[in-house]
Amino acid sequence: MAVLNRMDWYDLARTTNWTPSYVTEDELFPPKLSGDFGLPQNAWEKYDEPYKQTYPEYVKVQRDKDAGAYSVKAALERSRIFENADPGWKSVMKAHYGAIARGEYAAASAEARMMRFSKAPGMRNMSTLGCLDEIRHGQMQLYFPHEHVSKDRQMDWAFKAYDTNEWAMIAARHFFDDIMMTRDAISVSIMLTFSFETGFTNMQFLGLAADAAEAGDHTFANLISSIQTDESRHAQIGGPALKVLIENGQKAEAQKRVDIAVWGAWKLFSVLTGPIMDYYTPLEHRKQSFKEFMEEWIVAQFERALTDMGLDLPWYWDIFLKDIAQTHHGMHLGAYYWRPTLWWNPAAGVTPDERAWLEEKYPGWNDTWGQCWDVFIDNVVDGNMAKAYPETLPYVCNMCQLPILGTPGKGWNVKDYPLEYKGRLYHFGSEVDRWVFEQEPERYAGHLSIVDRFLAGMIQPMDLGGALQYMGLAPGEIGDDAHNYAWAEIYRALRAAKKAS
Amino acid sequence: MALYPLTSNFEGDFVLQLLPVDTENTMDEVAAAAAVHSVGRRVRDRPGCILRVRRQDAQEFFPRTMKVAESGLKPTETVEIIWQAA
Ligand SMILES: [Fe+2]
Ligand SMILES: [Fe+2]
Repeated sequence: MAVLNRMDWYDLARTTNWTPSYVTEDELFPPKLSGDFGLPQNAWEKYDEPYKQTYPEYVKVQRDKDAGAYSVKAALERSRIFENADPGWKSVMKAHYGAIARGEYAAASAEARMMRFSKAPGMRNMSTLGCLDEIRHGQMQLYFPHEHVSKDRQMDWAFKAYDTNEWAMIAARHFFDDIMMTRDAISVSIMLTFSFETGFTNMQFLGLAADAAEAGDHTFANLISSIQTDESRHAQIGGPALKVLIENGQKAEAQKRVDIAVWGAWKLFSVLTGPIMDYYTPLEHRKQSFKEFMEEWIVAQFERALTDMGLDLPWYWDIFLKDIAQTHHGMHLGAYYWRPTLWWNPAAGVTPDERAWLEEKYPGWNDTWGQCWDVFIDNVVDGNMAKAYPETLPYVCNMCQLPILGTPGKGWNVKDYPLEYKGRLYHFGSEVDRWVFEQEPERYAGHLSIVDRFLAGMIQPMDLGGALQYMGLAPGEIGDDAHNYAWAEIYRALRAAKKAS
Repeated sequence: MALYPLTSNFEGDFVLQLLPVDTENTMDEVAAAAAVHSVGRRVRDRPGCILRVRRQDAQEFFPRTMKVAESGLKPTETVEIIWQAA
C-alpha cells in the first residue's frame, strides 16, 4: 500500500485546535499556564516548527540512538576507564551527573507544560517528543553513573544532588525553577529551549564530549553526544514562538525573558563548566579554553540566532563579554577553597605548566587569581592546612545563589550590588542579577539564600559540621583535592632548589 | 553587646564573605576579624600597613575607634577593608 509522504499530511494532522463548547477557552488554556500573551488562538496557529518529525520517525531514530550509546557502554564496561581515569576527569563526571541528571527529569515536566498548555499545535507536537527526550536523558544519566556507585560514594550524587540543600544545587534549582518549572508554556519555550538549550547545552554537551573523547572516556563522550542530538532538535521549540510574539507586538516581553534566562544560564555555566574546562580536564586533553568555547558557541552562534530572530543582544552584552574571561576563575577558586561543600573532588589545576596555559589563555591570570593561589600553595607546601580551608561562608547572590565575586590581586574589582526591598537588604553579584530581581521582585523576594538561612538559624550547629549536615554531605562524600595535593610536590621541589642555589 | 553580621569585601581577595562581628567592636576590630578570613589564606600580609574600614564606594574611612553600633551600618551591609600605609 502506498504511504503518503510525511509533508503531505503532517500539517493537517497536527492541526488539533478546536473551538471548545463545553468549557471556555480560558478554562481549556488557563492564561497563567498557557501564556497566550493576550493573543487569540489563531495567532498561535501560525506557529510553524522548523523541525517536523512524526511519532513513528521519532521512535525509530531514538531507538537507534539508545542502541548506540548503550552498546558502547556495554562494550567498554570491563575496560576500567573509570578506575584508571585521572581524578580530575572523575570529578568532571561527578559534577556533571549531579548537576544535570535529575534536572533533565524536571525538564520533562517543563516540556509537558508546553505539550498540554501551549495554544500552538506545532509546539504541542514538538514538545511531546521533547518530553520523551528529557525522560530519556534523565534515565540514561542515572543509569550510566550507577555502575560506579559501589566504587565511589560521590557517584551517588548523580541521583541525590537534586534533593539536597548543597549550595550549588540550591543555585541550579533556583535557576531551573525560575525558567522552566514556574513559567507558562510560551515563556518555557523562550527561556528553556531558545535561551538555555540553544545557547548553553550545546556547549556543555559538545564541549564536554570533545574533552571526554580526548580523555579516552568514549562511554561518556557517546552518551552526551547522543543526548545533544535530541537537544538540538527540541531547542528549536522556542524560535517560532518568538516569531509569533514579535509579529504581534510583544517583542519587549520576549526580549526580557531571553535576557533573564541567558544571564542565569551564564552564571550557572561559569561555576559548572568553566572550572571543568579550564582546571579539571587534564592539560593535555584540553581542546579549547572555556573563554574560547564561549566565544564560539555563545558569542558567535547565539548572537546570530538572536539577531536572525529579530531580537536585540541583551542590554548587558558588554558586561557579559568582559565576564567570560573572569567570572569562572573566581567560581573555581571559590568552589575549590570551600571544597568540603562539594560532592566531587575539585582538581586545583595550578601546576606551573597549567598556570602557563592559563596565563596564555587569560593574560594577567598570574597577577590576579594567581596571587590568591600563591598564598594557598604556600600553605599547602608548608603543611599549614588549617589556612587552606575556610572558616566562614562566602556571601552569595540573592539571584544566582552563587558567591559574589570579582577579580582579585592587582586587578581587584570585587563589588556588592545591594538593593533594599521592603525592609530587607538583598545582595547581588552583578548589576544584571539585581536587574533580574527588579523585573519582578515579588517572584524572588521570599527566597532565602544559603547565607540567609544560616543567619536565620536554620543551619545548626552554626559551623562547618552543621553546614555540611544541612547540605546532605555525608562522610565519604565530602569534597577534597582531587589529587590529594600531589601536584604541590613540584612547588616543594622548586622551593628546595631555590634554597640550595 | 549583640552579634551583628556584616559582609567583608577585603582588598585583594576575590569574594565577599560573611563577617560576624559584635555591635561593640571598633572598626579596627572589624578589620582584624575580616583579615582572619582573607590574610594568609588568599591575600598576602602587608607588613607596615594597617587596615581601614569604609562603606562600599565611600571615600572616607570610618574612624578607627568607632563602634559598629555607632556606624549606621545595616545588618549584612558590605564594608570594604582597605590596606593603608601605617
Ligand atoms: Fe535534556
Ligand atoms: Fe532539553
